Amino acid sequence: MANAKKRLPLTVIGGFLGAGKTTLLNRWLREANGLRMAVLVNDFGALNIDADLIAATHGDTTALTNGCVCCQIGDDLGRALVEVIEAQTPFDAVVIEASGVSDPWRIAQIGMAAPELSLEGVVVLVDTSAVAQQANDPLLADTLARQVKSADLVVINKVDLVDAETLAGAKAWVETTAPGTPCIETIESAVPLALLSGVSHAEAAPHVCGPGCHGDHHPHDHASPDHGALFQTWSAQPGAVIPAATLRAWLRAVPPGVLRLKGVLRTGPDEWSEVQFAGRHGSLRKASLPAGDAHAGVVAIGLRGRLPESALGEFFSP
Amino acid sequence: MSTSNTTTTTTTTVYAARKIITMNAMQPHATHVAVRDGRVLAVGSLADMQAWGDFTLDERFAAKVLMPGLVEGHCHLKEGSMWDWTYLGWFDRRDPAGKVWSGLRSMDEVVSRLGEVAAKMTADGVPDTEPLVAWGFDPIYFGGERMTVAHVDRASATRPIVIGHANGHLMNVNSAMLRIAGITRDNEVEGVVKFADGANEGEPTGELQEPAAMFLVLRKIGNAGLLAPMTEAGVRSFARLACLQGVTTATDLVNKLTPEDCGVLEKTTGDDGFAVRILPAFQAFHGTHGAAQGAEHVKSLMPRNTDRLRYGLVKMMLDGSIQGFSARLRWPGHFNGAPNGIWVTAPAQYEADFEIYHRAGLTIHTHTNGDEASEVAIDAIGRVLTRAPRPDHRHTLQHGQMIDAPLFRRMAALGLCANLFANHIWYWGDQHYEMTMGPDRANRLDACGSALAAGVPLAIHSDAPVTPLGPMFTAWCAVNRITPKGRLLGESERITVAQALRAITLGAAWTLKLDGEIGSIECGKRADFCVLEDDPLEMDPMALKDARIWGTVLSGRVFEAQRG
Repeated sequence: MANAKKRLPLTVIGGFLGAGKTTLLNRWLREANGLRMAVLVNDFGALNIDADLIAATHGDTTALTNGCVCCQIGDDLGRALVEVIEAQTPFDAVVIEASGVSDPWRIAQIGMAAPELSLEGVVVLVDTSAVAQQANDPLLADTLARQVKSADLVVINKVDLVDAETLAGAKAWVETTAPGTPCIETIESAVPLALLSGVSHAEAAPHVCGPGCHGDHHPHDHASPDHGALFQTWSAQPGAVIPAATLRAWLRAVPPGVLRLKGVLRTGPDEWSEVQFAGRHGSLRKASLPAGDAHAGVVAIGLRGRLPESALGEFFSP
Repeated sequence: MSTSNTTTTTTTTVYAARKIITMNAMQPHATHVAVRDGRVLAVGSLADMQAWGDFTLDERFAAKVLMPGLVEGHCHLKEGSMWDWTYLGWFDRRDPAGKVWSGLRSMDEVVSRLGEVAAKMTADGVPDTEPLVAWGFDPIYFGGERMTVAHVDRASATRPIVIGHANGHLMNVNSAMLRIAGITRDNEVEGVVKFADGANEGEPTGELQEPAAMFLVLRKIGNAGLLAPMTEAGVRSFARLACLQGVTTATDLVNKLTPEDCGVLEKTTGDDGFAVRILPAFQAFHGTHGAAQGAEHVKSLMPRNTDRLRYGLVKMMLDGSIQGFSARLRWPGHFNGAPNGIWVTAPAQYEADFEIYHRAGLTIHTHTNGDEASEVAIDAIGRVLTRAPRPDHRHTLQHGQMIDAPLFRRMAALGLCANLFANHIWYWGDQHYEMTMGPDRANRLDACGSALAAGVPLAIHSDAPVTPLGPMFTAWCAVNRITPKGRLLGESERITVAQALRAITLGAAWTLKLDGEIGSIECGKRADFCVLEDDPLEMDPMALKDARIWGTVLSGRVFEAQRG
């Protein structure tokens, strides 16, 4: 990327009570595998961290032996986030657990606001065994819908607990509520960490190495076994200038199937912009001139078989 | 305020008054009250006082009216520290030193006050990098005119200026602050408002909406406003404001009760010159503890209770605010068609946590603004009480602004209390009528009449600093139900002056389980008095808010309010 200082990728985990958010976080913390993650949670007590993984606990913060840190948000997310941003030893990724009733998109906006962060995406979990009942409860229906509508990726969780008909019903509800949003089905929140490390650093891995790559890879990304099976990438080096207004308009209606898109593009004769897109949220920020045109380019990631390669090609390299 | 005449254990002081309104229905009026050991020994005539033997007759209140010390059942200590920053509200407001800050009725007046404060900061040698923080700005009264950097830069182009809006959802800043926060035309956060046209098209206007946009500024200046930490100076300022308003007992109706918080509370209230009794309510939502640990924490603090500091209350929160369109409303929803609001706590989570605190024997005060939230609370508490009956729990719904007669009847059946937000009738009554809920429901906004008719124990409140601390004003709202535009909202929901005075004394004391100790002037209770120049029962009810308050007596200690 063009900027000397790398932005800290932010992922927001949403979903109603019981959808499996904490299970997912516990899993990722266990499997961090060298990735230094800061996890901001609502309820400390709910995290079930193995005692032998805990290095130290101080007030609202627990440091793990694998380099990850958990912080309790309390009611001041801003303060917790600033502490992560300004940490002495920089983190590789930050994950925020949204409360069971909050709108994760409102939290994601903070990720878009802070110059030190880049929004990786909003992952919303759905409890397949309970969603039909929840979505029919007049007290909860709008809260559930709001969450799923703000998702970049919907995790249809606990599929082992339901029959085929219930699963189909849950998927239909997600599709009706948030048409076109990528979904994956899981048991016990088994969302691969690759979603975090793999997507975040996919462009850095050799087999998907795109033109935006600058070489400061995390070696473990290459070893991620489920990455290739789950994701597919596409990249291009547009020769022509794409005006910022054109790019912004495109970002508002990105073809379905793109989970993530990232790059540095020429948006004017002497103007470069950094483009970011996650699921449904795009952003454009002015960037300093990359060291030679060779570093410009764009890379997109989607679930295998779902990436709209021809539509991407039509726009970026017609 | 000044402290004087500290009672000792051996003396009896008899205060003569023009009139004593006791709020004891069995002996409504008196002329003398005897005080010993900080408590009321006798109430009656001078002759009645003789029975207890020698006493000192104190006639300083001989021309004044005594009432029980007023009880504010829902406010926040932050009311005191807000005055560390510049007030920009539309309504007149009195600061802890007793000075009245006039309401600002135009953008020019706002800019001019900011300019004066900025100039004074510079004259006082405050470094140019130190931000000027202001609060209470409410452009809803300015006929649609929006504040921009063009206004705020006139106050200072160099010193960063941050203006918090009264609703808490917006702020305005000047160009200097935009630069420090790095907010430019390229910033894509939804809440960063930009000029739609003109010479500066696409540039930020300086208006920042909602947390993400405001975060850009707050992270640079530290958390100003409602998120600022509680300080000793702020708590002492609160006590001065309480004295000015005749308040001797007040809640701090959401407090994390961290060791630091408890330290500040214990230090300030430990001072005999501290003029108010404080009941902090533990924040049992978005908190630092699970419910079981939270209940344990509160109970572990209670042995440290003193006369002036009472741990034990628990605060829960179900929905947002009506004027912010984040309250949970039943059919027919918002009058202007806005979507339903949000749950701060999921209903099922509320019920589970409530049950734990309830079973621990604690009294829970629940924030419910919209009627759907109130109904959810009543449903949940009904089930909890069926599983775990507990006589005399005093659980209270706070705000309860849209509760109707059927819900009040259910509350009465469950033994629930209501502490209604009567100040809303004045401060947002017109907005509720025209925008949020429409005429029918606005006419039963904070339905004090219905609550009393249903037999629900009633208190009324200010939620200071959301609206100013002042139970006499709150009583005026409940008695008159007038809006700034001159509407009378729900004639039949008005209550009498006597009923309103009860709501700000014994009624509020009941919701805090302190009615055996405070709230009326009778033998055995704390010698807590509100000392007035005027008799609220003889005044024109429309003038009730202007009843002049001399000061207070708290557990026998006399505090004269400081006037600006």
